[in-house]
Amino acid sequence: MSTRIVVDPITRIEGHLRIEADIENGKIKDAFSSGTMVRLLEEILKGRDPKDAWAFVGRVCGVCTSVHSLTSVRAVEDALDIVVPPNAEMVRNIMFCTQYMHDHVVHFYHLHAMDWVDVVNALKADPKKTSELAQSISHWPKSSPGYFSDIQTRIKKFVESGQLGIFANGYWGHPAYKLPPEVNLIGLAHYLEALEWQKEIVKIHAIFGGKNPHPNYLVGGMACAIGIDDVSGINAERLALVGQLLQDAKEFVEQVYVPDLMAIASFYKDWGAIGGGLGNYLVYGDLPTNGFRDMASFKFPAGAILNKDLGNIQEVDLRKDEEVQEFVTNSWYEYREGKTVGLHPWKGESKVNYNGPKPPFEHLDTAKEYSYLKTPRWNGHAMEVGPLARVLVGYARGREDFKAVVDKALTDLKVPVTALFSTLGRTAARGLESVLIAQWGLEFFDQLISNIKNGDTRMAEMSKFDPATWPAQALGVGYSEAPRGALAHWINIEDQKIANYQLVVPTTWNASPRDGKGQLSAYESALLNTPVADEKQPLEILRTVHSFDPCMACSVH
Amino acid sequence: MLRRVYVWELPVRFYHWLNALVMVALVATGFYIADPLALQSQREATGKFTMGWIRYIHFAAAYLFFFNFLARIYWGFVGNKFANWKQFIPVSGTFFKEMWTVIKMDVLMMKNREHMSIGHNALAGFTYFLTFILFLIQCLTGFGLYAAMSDWWFPQLFAWVPALFGGDILTRQIHHWAMWFFILFVVIHIYLVFYHDYIEGRGEISSMGGGWKFIEEEAFEKEHTHTPNPE
Amino acid sequence: MIHETLPSPPTYYEEVERKGYSRREFMAFVTTMAAFMGLENSAIGQVVHALETKSRVPVIWLHFQECTCCSESFIRSSHPIVADILLDKISLDYTETLMAASGVQAEEAMKHTMEKYRGEYILCVEGSVPTGADGVYCMIGGKTSLQILEEAAAGAKAVIAWGSCASNGCVQAARPNPTNATPIHKLLKGIPLIKVPGCPPIGEVMAGVIVHLVTFGKIPELDRLGRPKAFYSKRVHDSCYRRAYYDAGLFVESFDDENAKKGYCLYKVGCKGPSTYNACGVMRWNGGTSFPIQAGHGCIGCSEENFWDNGRFYERASAFAGFGIEANADTLGKAALAATGVGIAAHAIATNVRKHKLIAGKVQEGKISEKEFES
Ligand code: HEM
Ligand code: HEM
Ligand code: NFV
Ligand code: SF4
Ligand code: SF4
Ligand code: F3S
Ligand SMILES: [Mg+2]
Repeated sequence: MSTRIVVDPITRIEGHLRIEADIENGKIKDAFSSGTMVRLLEEILKGRDPKDAWAFVGRVCGVCTSVHSLTSVRAVEDALDIVVPPNAEMVRNIMFCTQYMHDHVVHFYHLHAMDWVDVVNALKADPKKTSELAQSISHWPKSSPGYFSDIQTRIKKFVESGQLGIFANGYWGHPAYKLPPEVNLIGLAHYLEALEWQKEIVKIHAIFGGKNPHPNYLVGGMACAIGIDDVSGINAERLALVGQLLQDAKEFVEQVYVPDLMAIASFYKDWGAIGGGLGNYLVYGDLPTNGFRDMASFKFPAGAILNKDLGNIQEVDLRKDEEVQEFVTNSWYEYREGKTVGLHPWKGESKVNYNGPKPPFEHLDTAKEYSYLKTPRWNGHAMEVGPLARVLVGYARGREDFKAVVDKALTDLKVPVTALFSTLGRTAARGLESVLIAQWGLEFFDQLISNIKNGDTRMAEMSKFDPATWPAQALGVGYSEAPRGALAHWINIEDQKIANYQLVVPTTWNASPRDGKGQLSAYESALLNTPVADEKQPLEILRTVHSFDPCMACSVH
Repeated sequence: MLRRVYVWELPVRFYHWLNALVMVALVATGFYIADPLALQSQREATGKFTMGWIRYIHFAAAYLFFFNFLARIYWGFVGNKFANWKQFIPVSGTFFKEMWTVIKMDVLMMKNREHMSIGHNALAGFTYFLTFILFLIQCLTGFGLYAAMSDWWFPQLFAWVPALFGGDILTRQIHHWAMWFFILFVVIHIYLVFYHDYIEGRGEISSMGGGWKFIEEEAFEKEHTHTPNPE
Repeated sequence: MIHETLPSPPTYYEEVERKGYSRREFMAFVTTMAAFMGLENSAIGQVVHALETKSRVPVIWLHFQECTCCSESFIRSSHPIVADILLDKISLDYTETLMAASGVQAEEAMKHTMEKYRGEYILCVEGSVPTGADGVYCMIGGKTSLQILEEAAAGAKAVIAWGSCASNGCVQAARPNPTNATPIHKLLKGIPLIKVPGCPPIGEVMAGVIVHLVTFGKIPELDRLGRPKAFYSKRVHDSCYRRAYYDAGLFVESFDDENAKKGYCLYKVGCKGPSTYNACGVMRWNGGTSFPIQAGHGCIGCSEENFWDNGRFYERASAFAGFGIEANADTLGKAALAATGVGIAAHAIATNVRKHKLIAGKVQEGKISEKEFES
């Protein structure tokens, strides 16, 4: 007999996720992923000015802040046939790289680490040994014995105060924690350091977009005019700050994040065979180096992989009616044409219809609708999106930069390439792509500088800003590779207003309920067969779910 | 036979023309504030104050507008009967009856007869009453917005207004929308003044200048029916 | 659990002392803090006293209909930095975003604080509460957000409504507000509540509000809309460094034009700074790096109630629902003016027709008088 366990709230994620899982013989036999909060922004967008949409959808998420705004202006620009100036493209790329690095580092240390790092156990570490270990894996200067012993003392006092705050009630001492105290202490020290660091890198958003979270975007380009000879515009000082921050970020990723990741991973190699799930991966592609229309110039190449077949990459077309479709068979929505049809987002609908149990309740009725997420499918397939998908597609497409980082990691950890299809692989891929992104950020920065040097100071294409210049009807799709994966917005503009606006979001792909054919989506599929040592302390569920970096506000929107 | 009647006392006339003047200034500067011109200038911004002056005129006119308005309300209690507040607020059946008569005569043109009132006719009076309410709204929203720009206690008296509308954004929009009612009022008002002069021939237009109207003898015999809210 | 077996919590000062800081360093910290909060020198003693005598204030931070950007903004605070707030100033006993525990363990942590510190903890709320469909649009642990809010507020000392979501409903409350997203103050009565609007609020503002609460043990002075005066008493426009251009009447006419490069005022491209109360122009964002206007985009009024529905972001005037995107008050006004013109013309013609006799009579009368005068 299996027992049903419920983890709700799943914490250290964005938003409201509930997992119900059936455990049999210490393993998960079936799992249900439910998003339990909805805002219906797609309904709220109707009738509004397409130029304003970026601000509304920006508020879909403050964790992956800016990615929806970017995707939105791309959708409107696609519909109205606007080509943004190269400087704007570079600024957007730099902001996107900033977002990736911030999001990935915060995820690793503040949302994911406590699944692997036992904070309380760190108190047992020997600071001197910790220091030696830290210096053996990285050149990061803050690694003296004194540094670690200060941190340790601070945390000890904190724990002794009796008020454990955010660390209260963690699964400390759980048998699945495998790290030696010294690695735990490094993890804890860098938790605090990353907390300080993360507020620095986002200054890049403040420079180009005025603030973070939720920097400003503009249909047609960016609002941050270049005024090389003016104190108000983007000038040498502003650019120098951006360059400095990108440099510092690269340093942090290379000297702190990735060494920690590899050190921790080396103790959890068994997780290279757990939590793989679907084996289908989808990437839309992003980070143009020669304009958004030249897909071949993307730093992240697009493509789809089915059944882990790295030898066969399929092309993706977001405009085709049959490729991307959303189903609501198990979701709290209804379509005009009934529960069984799938809708391409240009024809998408978002009419909510909750028919779950009346709160307060113990269990959802998982035999019928059980989530506010719709279920997206690509040519009928359930797909995983995210860092792992991106790294696999880049790797499988034979891109040298991808191969270099992936092969090095596999060699260092002494694991085969198949270990990537796992919880550990997912977490590792996030770090590996961060190394690439840190590098690309600097390349985009150089490209921006040389463009300005060559006399091009354009930042926005305003000729189609006035709605009077628009066609009576226009369809557009904007897409991007958000930190959590493939993201796209589809817009229908009619009479200068939004007639329909649909988002299909990375976490919607990954965390959605099963479809009408019974195919599980990525979370549910990855949870199958995950061992659970103690049903009362389902740490393993957190590991696999967190490896996707859930964002529920995004997924439901 | 026409008789000369001193209808509009000096304070009323003074009020009227000052009001007309500041209203024109407020509308003109209001438009400019809402949508300023695209100026080109070689001068440093610190040496220019175009928007500043426009706003200064708006606010100065606003003060005149407000206190002038207060003075008129005062005069509604102490002035002659043509200036009395009862000319504006319908509190009796005769007032409504007269309004209906005016509508029939001047708007629907059903009666082809001369109108007999000496001061404001009831409909005009009532329209001014509505306009006064709008004055009040404009002053409330205007000074409510102005409170954020001034430390003086007087504008601070209005600081609660934006809070009522949840903030300045909506308050400012109401202020802007209300402007259009003034514009429409003035256009119709001036037309009607000319209209009455034209068909009644009592010197309506000049009455706001010298205060005199020229009224038919028989009007005095039925005088009580022409004061909408008799004492 | 460890905390139940331990003696009463040490004070800030004890903690600072144990961390190896001197009394002088402690005083320097207090003075900076006080200056940051805009306090008189005479209040420093109060701060010192507070820090010397209090344990870390327990905080429960609830998450409802939100984008978690307020939490993100909070961790961007540069003074005090968030690690120090979490380790030294407050005891953040519940927040879904950062806490280690999940599921039942998370719920237990909240319950523990609600019982042990009844009447003492601060309740922070991020996000709005959907009251549509009996609250099913936001459920956590099988309960609706409204149920959770009411339970948690019952024993709270004060409530902080973080961001525009909790203060005003924000984006999900924009027309047609399909889930009936409701700000917190409309649901809680009889408990001190501080609104900290902004989408999100500035990190240092959030930290500043918390620091004020824990050091003084009372809520900061609020304005008429319930916002701390320290951060919301001035319009962005009043502290905007482009104000000189506004006063001069020099404006950006279109993004990326010559005027934009020169940093002219953004009023004509829709800046809502003149109607928005926030500290952006003074404190700026992300450790003082910049703020929207400095980066060339107008203020969208993100700390104002209903800023989503009060006008488009690139227009000065607001559009009227139902009259198309481009119809604003002036479009309607001009139409009304034209209609009035037509009406007047029609009336003038009608007058001459229908009152023909009357007018003819007057003319006749005049002619007779004229004759009499001549003779
Ligand atoms: C007939 C009376 C008035 C008219 C037609 C008028 C019209 C206007 C208009 C059209 C605006 C621009 C609104 C926008 O930005 O869209 C404005 C702004 C303003 N008005 Fe008035 N107004 C009148 C009376 C007043 C009064 C009595 C005050 C009291 C102080 C006042 C204070 C203001 C203020 C403070 C502003 C905002 C100016 C700024 O922020 O720079 N107005 N007015
Ligand atoms: C901006 C322009 C104007 C405004 C705002 C305005 C406003 C007003 C108001 C508020 C009254 C009521 C006076 C009272 O009893 O306190 C009034 C009455 C009057 N106004 Fe004007 N006025 C304007 C222009 C004019 C002009 C151009 C004329 C004629 C040359 C005129 C002639 C009169 C006359 C004759 C009355 C009294 C008539 C009656 O009660 O119907 N006004 N006006
Ligand atoms: N899922 C998701 Fe997002 C991301 N990355 C966005 O598109 O997190 Ni808030
Ligand atoms: S107020 Fe704005 S920033 Fe804060 S949670 Fe709501 S949408 Fe996000
Ligand atoms: S840019 Fe905005 S806030 Fe600054 S002066 Fe101009 S209108 Fe005011
Ligand atoms: S948009 Fe918001 S961030 Fe400040 S400048 Fe305006 S209040
Ligand atoms: Mg959607």
